[in-house]
Parts: sequence; structure tokens; C-alpha cells
Amino acid sequence: MPSDSPAISVLGLKKSYGEVHAVKGIDFEIQTGEVFGLLGPNGAGKTTTVEILEGLRPRSAGQVAVLGFDPDRQRQSLKDRIGVCLQATNLPEKIRVREALQVFSSFYTKHADLNQLLRRLQLEEKREAFYGTLSGGQKQRLALALALVNDPQLVFLDEPTTGLDPQVRVEIHSLLEELKREHRTILMTTHYIEEAERLCDRVAIVDEGKIIALDTPSRLQQQSRHASSIVVTCAKALPADRPAWAEATQSALDSTGRTLTVNSRRPAATLVDLVKWIDQQGLELTDVHLKQPTLEDVFIELTGKSLRE
Amino acid sequence: MNTYKALIALDVKLALRQKSVLFFNYLFPLVFFFVFAQAFHAERGAGMTIVIAMVMIIGILGNGLFGAGMRAVQEREANILRRYKVTPISPAPLLIASTVTGWMIFMPYVFVMFGLAHFIYGMPWPKSMGSILIFVTVGIAGFRAIGLILAAVANSMQESQILIQLVYLPMLFLSGATFPLAMFPPWLLVVTQFLPATYLVTGVEAMLMRDEGIMANIQPAAALLLTMVVGLFIAYKLFRWEKEEKIRNSAKLWLGVVLTPFLCLGLWQMHTKSNAEKTKTLQRQLSRSETFLIRGARIVIGDGSVIENGAVLVRGGKIAEVYAGNGPDPKTVNAEVVEAAGKTVLPGLIDVHVHLGGPAGFYPDMKSYDPDKMMLRNLAAYLYSGVTTVRSVGDLLDNILKARSKVNSGEVLGAELFTCGPLFTANGGHGTEYFKQLPAGIRENAEKQFSRIPGSAEEAHQQVDDLKKAGVDCIKVILESGAGGRVYNRLDPGIFTAIAQQVHADQLPLAIHTGEVRDVEDAVRAQANSIEHGSFRETIPGTLFDQMARQGTFYDPTLSVGEAFKDFAAGRIDLLKRSLVQQVGPPELLRGTEEAMASKDTEEIRASLARYPIDMQIATANLKRAYEHKVPLVTGSDAGNFLVVHGPTAQRELELWVQAGIPPAVALQAATSNAARLLGADAHIGTIRPGHDADLLVIDGNPLEDITATERISSVVFKGERIDRTELFEQH
Repeated sequence: MPSDSPAISVLGLKKSYGEVHAVKGIDFEIQTGEVFGLLGPNGAGKTTTVEILEGLRPRSAGQVAVLGFDPDRQRQSLKDRIGVCLQATNLPEKIRVREALQVFSSFYTKHADLNQLLRRLQLEEKREAFYGTLSGGQKQRLALALALVNDPQLVFLDEPTTGLDPQVRVEIHSLLEELKREHRTILMTTHYIEEAERLCDRVAIVDEGKIIALDTPSRLQQQSRHASSIVVTCAKALPADRPAWAEATQSALDSTGRTLTVNSRRPAATLVDLVKWIDQQGLELTDVHLKQPTLEDVFIELTGKSLRE
Repeated sequence: MNTYKALIALDVKLALRQKSVLFFNYLFPLVFFFVFAQAFHAERGAGMTIVIAMVMIIGILGNGLFGAGMRAVQEREANILRRYKVTPISPAPLLIASTVTGWMIFMPYVFVMFGLAHFIYGMPWPKSMGSILIFVTVGIAGFRAIGLILAAVANSMQESQILIQLVYLPMLFLSGATFPLAMFPPWLLVVTQFLPATYLVTGVEAMLMRDEGIMANIQPAAALLLTMVVGLFIAYKLFRWEKEEKIRNSAKLWLGVVLTPFLCLGLWQMHTKSNAEKTKTLQRQLSRSETFLIRGARIVIGDGSVIENGAVLVRGGKIAEVYAGNGPDPKTVNAEVVEAAGKTVLPGLIDVHVHLGGPAGFYPDMKSYDPDKMMLRNLAAYLYSGVTTVRSVGDLLDNILKARSKVNSGEVLGAELFTCGPLFTANGGHGTEYFKQLPAGIRENAEKQFSRIPGSAEEAHQQVDDLKKAGVDCIKVILESGAGGRVYNRLDPGIFTAIAQQVHADQLPLAIHTGEVRDVEDAVRAQANSIEHGSFRETIPGTLFDQMARQGTFYDPTLSVGEAFKDFAAGRIDLLKRSLVQQVGPPELLRGTEEAMASKDTEEIRASLARYPIDMQIATANLKRAYEHKVPLVTGSDAGNFLVVHGPTAQRELELWVQAGIPPAVALQAATSNAARLLGADAHIGTIRPGHDADLLVIDGNPLEDITATERISSVVFKGERIDRTELFEQH
């Protein structure tokens, strides 16, 4: 596989179960070293898409290449080279952490250094512990470790932090960032916006079996019809008569008369103008902040529904 | 390969960390082990072999169905298999690892069991250990596969539990693993032959009890292996990684496919019944394995000596020891005690001259007379009466060989049988008259089965050889020209000589029916092993008896048949009224004969018999002289003839001898050790000595003072089994 060819390329992918069309024609490419997020509500077709790419399910139509393999026909070779962290999997209660890693490692041609893996995933102290005694976060770290036993260049993470408490989620995030630094290609599904914003190079928003938007998180935000806004608060009430600042679209005062919200097409330019004007008015500026549209806003705008119902 | 090794190692570790696995695999069967061992008095006989077989099969069932089946479903339901799904492995290593793990967990248990059996219950180490291990291995593999199939077709934990119980319970209760198959009615025995577990039970029992090898159990072993292969293949094909993948209900039919080898085996067994027979034989062997000490009794050894107050230790079907006095503390020899004060223990009696197919009288409906059935019933009647061995000297060959194999294997309980098969006679000679009235087709076959009529010396050689090959124990030849209106063609001397030569060359005992002195002379000259009847009409000269004594030719006077013929001719039925005859005689025979004797229809036969020269005084005098000339004597009755009912025949013969003036000790020796010697069986029957078969007749009273005491039977021991005499006739 030449290094400049994409890690994953998907063209016209469809999957039907009888009359039910779970995936209705999806195209995307993921470059080597890229972290790619599939964002969408339950039942959008994310998991189906990922499982087709992992070689777990046959597709109904379309062309798919994962690391140059056809997941339908070169299932074993593909599985040998990828790492997968599924949601809702389990291990036997009485398996030790070390044993789980050893057994799973034996399934693959390529082997990561298990001690190093344990260290990286902060499982060293738990190496002899039974799976049943691990906390939720430890179990998820072990799941990640199992996805890495074959030192894969491509890792699939299906909802890697779902159901974990915030602190653990942060831990997992920093681990994923580490993977990102190692230039591993990652395809993750999530319905946590901030996860996608923080980790993903690019995000595809999936709904009802289709990709409805695909870009970097920041560009997706910019596409939003919602403009960014600047909120300023002063020590005394602001004058009702206000000029047109550069790039500003509209402004409004709240009931106290001290807090002003200004919508802007280019908040940076507007802000400079606005601060100058406040200074000229001899007002004391007590607070400034900038509100930008989130992926959530983009998502709601595009799909008309919330990510979590 | 690494994958397999790692998975097996993991599976074993996981199994050993699971308390329920430890409980069901080790502790639970061990509890059964000790409970069964107590129940079966394992320390006293071969009970331990049954216990091991039962507990082993309980273990295999649990290991296969719960260990493999339940666990596979659990792993799927708990989303554990889902994790394996994304790895490059196929279901094969998981299925194989499960099978191998089951075996690895089970094997130590097998050794523990043998160790316990050996060290606690004194069971000898099994001789066919290798075969047992192979058999248990295929058993485990087969049942693991059945468990995996159950897992493959069950859609939920609940469903799997129902399916597993549906398979487990019948196999547990109907295979002999918990209730001995001997308890089952025949129709249920047919059902059991469709269950794989049944073959495991009988196979392991046979290997332990009879040192059978794997080859003797190749059918079930092959079926189990096939079950494993087919089972694993289907389990592979139907393998599901996730609980969300449901399987259609019709897939449960695959379970049927896996059990097909046993469906075939069951149908085959319905036809051959060989495994059911094996079950019975094994059960017999178990009954014959007990250890007990009969003490306080007078012991008539059989060789002429007597211990006035002694004890006999029976173990494993044999006489283990004979003691003067009370014998050892029964606890030290693990024996049950049979108190027999005031009783006499004799070797089982032997009748060397019977016709097992002979009806001994009249049945109201002779058409329903089935020789196969009657032969077995008659052998049971002998055993009931303490006549533990009989020799048939003239019966339908195929029928008598079949009967012999059934009783001598222990499948059917009855006296040990030796047989000459058909008898050699002349065309129109004695023995051919019975079939004259039969229609041509039946007659031809009956004659072929019942008699041999060689036309030349070569044919004589051939016929003797053929019988030897067919497996007869002796050859019977008729030398008889008849008297009193009955005229028989006598065998040509040249042909007779040819027969005798071949019989000796084939090393078979030669029994010769004689009618008068010249017959006896010819027989003695031909080195007969026994003279059957001697003569009822001519006095045998002392010189001839001297010759017999020198040659060691046995004299079998068969006084019983003489007495019976006299009674019959006179219309007397006292012989039917003897207590033991009343107990063992088929009711329809007793009734039919009594009615026939009172009816005019038999007048002609009676008149004809009355004309036949039977002189009991001559016969008893011949016997007396034989005794005085030190001719070895044996007891034969010619049972099967009119009024000589199969059963307590040896007793009546003994009584007639003692009435004739033979000392009871001599008579008893004739009916035991001498008879055994004539049969060539004196290495295992005929005397009460260590190493001999435990064929014992326990009677009330002292037969040396009153020979009729031999009819007052207290109990009968046959090959070490204390015979439940009342149940003997229920097996027919």
C-alpha cells in the first residue's frame, strides 16, 4: 500500500436489511494519520458503517477499501491489521488483565510490547487483577489496550467514552491524543460534540444513513448560519444610541442597560471597533466574551434534531 | 497454533477459577462416588466398577452439556464473544479449545476416582486402562460437541437451559448412570439404546469388569467420534458471536443431526440387541462378584472328603478359601456372612445325560412348544434345583448352541451347559424314530439338526470334524439294536470305529448309548469316555467292568429313565408329585401329562413301553457291580423323556443309587467331581476348593445320612451369585 493512498476510502456504500435501508450511499476518504469522527444520533447508520469497514458485516453496495483490503473478501487479513474498540463488549470475570492481553495478542501476526502497553494505559498496577474487579474506566482502558495489542496503524473506536464519568473521559481523551501524536489513523464514532471537537481532524455528520456534512470542526462551525457574538458588560449603563461597528450585523442591550450583545460576521474586526468606541464613551469595561456556534448548533441546524434524545 | 494454546490455557484457568465448575466437575460427582460406593457395597465385589462407570458418566454429562453448552451461551449473552468477533480468529479455535479444555479438566478426575477406588475400596488397577482413557476421551469429545451444538441453537440463556435439561435428564436417568439398566422393563431398554450415554456406561463397565478393549466397543466409540466431528462442524457453521443475532427455531433440528449416529446405533441395537445383552451380562457379572462367607456348615468337598464344621469364602465368582472351623473374621476379608449351621454345602450337582429339548411329558398343545424357549426354561429349572451343570447328549444343534451361549455368557440365568449336539446313529437306528410322524419338510430339517447318520468312514470323519468346528463339547453315539418289539438298525461296526477314532483324534469326550452287553463291549473297546445307560436288560460281566475301571471309562446307569418308563407303563404319576418337580415343572406340562396319563389316548404308548424290557433289578445290579469293580461312576437321568422332568434330576438319580446300595458319599462324588472330570471341567467345577467356580448347593440336613436331604434346598450359589430362585422363571 503506497503511503499516500488513503487509509480508508468509501464510495457509494449502501447497506440494507430487507426493506430497511440503514446506509443509503456514503462517500468519504480518511487519510493516513488522520483522526476522523462519525457524529450522529442513535440509528443514524454510524455503527453499521463502521462494522462494514471492520469486516464484521457484508455491504449491500459500494466500493470500500480499508488499508487496501476489501473488508468483505479479505476479512482475516484486514482484522489482523486493525485495532477495534467496540462498545458493550465484555471479558470473563475471572480473566486477569495480563492474560487478556496475552490471549488477544496470540490472535495476531504482529505484536505490541505488552508491558509498554500496560504502562501507557496505566494498567501496570492492575496487571494481575481480575477483569471483574476493574472500575469502568479501567475496563475501558483495557478495551483500548486490547485494540492495540497488534500495534495497528488503523484503529476503530466505537463510542469510546460513552457511559464513563467526566473525569475518566478526560483520561481516555488524553490517551487518544497520544495515539494521534503517534500518527495512527483513527476512525471514531461518538455523540459527544466536545469529543469530536477536541480530537477529530475531520468530522462527518451522519443522519438517516447519509453524510449531511463533512469538514474540519472549525469550518463546520463557520458554515453555521448563526453568527458569532461578542458580549460586553460595563460599570455604567451604555448609551442607547450606537454606531455601526465594522462587520457587525446587529446589537441589543439587556434590561440592566449595562450588557450589550453584538452579532458579527468577523468578531475579531468588530471587537477592535467596539472596544475603541467604549473607550471613547469613557465607560469602564468590566467583562468581555466571545460566543461562537458549536458543532451542536451546526448539528441541530442540519438535522433538526438533538444528538442525544 | 499459538492461538489454540493460549485459548486452551485460558479456558483451563478460567474453569479452575470458577467455583461452579469445580463443584459440578469434581465435588458433585465425588459425592455420588461415595454414596454409590456405599449403596453398592463396593468393598465386597465388582460394585466399584459400576460405581466408577456411573459417576464417570455423570461427570461427562455435566462436563459436556453444562461445561461446554451453558458456558458458550453465557459468553455470547455476556458480549464476550463479541469481543473475539473483531479479532482475526474463526470460531474453530474457540470450539476446539472448549473441547480440549473439557478433556483436560476431566482427566485428573478420572485418575482421582481410580485412585480412590483402588486405595479405599480395594479395586485392582484396571487392566485396560489405555482403552478406558481413549473411550472416556471420545466420550468427553462427543458430549462437548453436543453441548456446543445446544449452545449454537439456543437463542437465550433460558432456552439453552431447557434444551440442556431435555438432553441431560434422559441421559442421566435412562443410561444406567443413576439407575442400573437391569431395573428397566424391556421396552425402556429399547429406548436406552438410543442414548449415547448408555454406551458410555456399558462400555466403561465392560472395560473395567471384563477387561474389554476399545476394539470390543468400537461401535459406540466410532459413534461418539462421529458425534464430535459432526457436532463441531455444525457448531462451527451455526456459530454466533452476538446475542443479537438470533437463529431460527428450525435450527434446533441440527441437534437431531448430531444424534444421528446414535439413532442409527439404536436402530441397529433394536435389531441385534447386542448392547442390551451386554448390559445383562455385565449385570450378571456384578451379581457374581460379591464376597461372602458361608460358615457353620458341613462341607462335602466333592472328592469324597468332608469337613464337619467349616466355612467357605466366596469372592469374585470363585471359591476363595475353604476353612475347617468358623473361618476368619468376616470384616478382615470384607465379606458378608451367611450363617449355615446345621446345613450342608455341596458342589452344585451335575447331570451328564439330558435332552434339553425333550418335553418330559405331554403339553395340552404341543404345537406351541418352542424348543428355544423351553431349553432356557429347563436350564433355569436345573439351576433352581441346585443342578448347576448339565450335559445335553442329543438335541437340535443350532438351538442347543444358542441356548449354551445365552446361559454360559450369563445373559440368561440357567445351569451351565455342555452339549454333544446331535447324536450319531444308523439309518433307521435309535434316535430316528422320534421324527417318523413329522411331515417330510420339517422332518428333514429336524433330522439334520438332531442326528448324524454317516454312510461311510470318510463321512463319519467329516461329520465329527464339522461338529467339533461348530463347537460341541462331546460326541454321542448310539449302539442299540432294540428289543421287545422295537427294532433299531445298529450302527455299522466299521463306521462306528471311524467315528470313535475321529472323536479321539479331535480330543472330544465320547459318550456311547448302549442297550445290551455287546454294545457295552464295543463301546469299551472303542475307548468310550462314558457308557450311557449300560443295560436295563442284560447283566454286564465283571470282566467288562474291570476293563472300564482300568481304562477310566465312566459308567452312567441313568436309573431315572428306567424308573420313569416303568411308572409310565404302569400309569403311575408319583414322579410328577415330587415337591421340586411341582415347583419347577411348567404347569401346563404337569397338567397335560397327568391328563394324558389318565386318558385312553396314551394307552397304546403305555402298552408299547410295557413290552420293552426294562428290568430295574438288572440295572441296579449292574450299577452295584460297577461300583464294586471300582468303575468311575457318574449321574445322568435322561431327562426330557416321559416323566423325567428337567430340574431335580440328579437328586432322584442319587436316591435310586442309594436305594440300590451305593454309599451316599460315593453317589455324591459321582454327581460332582466324577461328572466334572467326565466333562473335562474338573479344573473349575465339581469340587469345593479354592480357585473353583463357586457353584454351591446349600441344603438342610446331612445327605450322607439321608440322600433325600439333597432335595431340601436352602440356597443355590452359581458362579458366585446367590440365586434368587423365585425370580428365575420370571426371565422367560
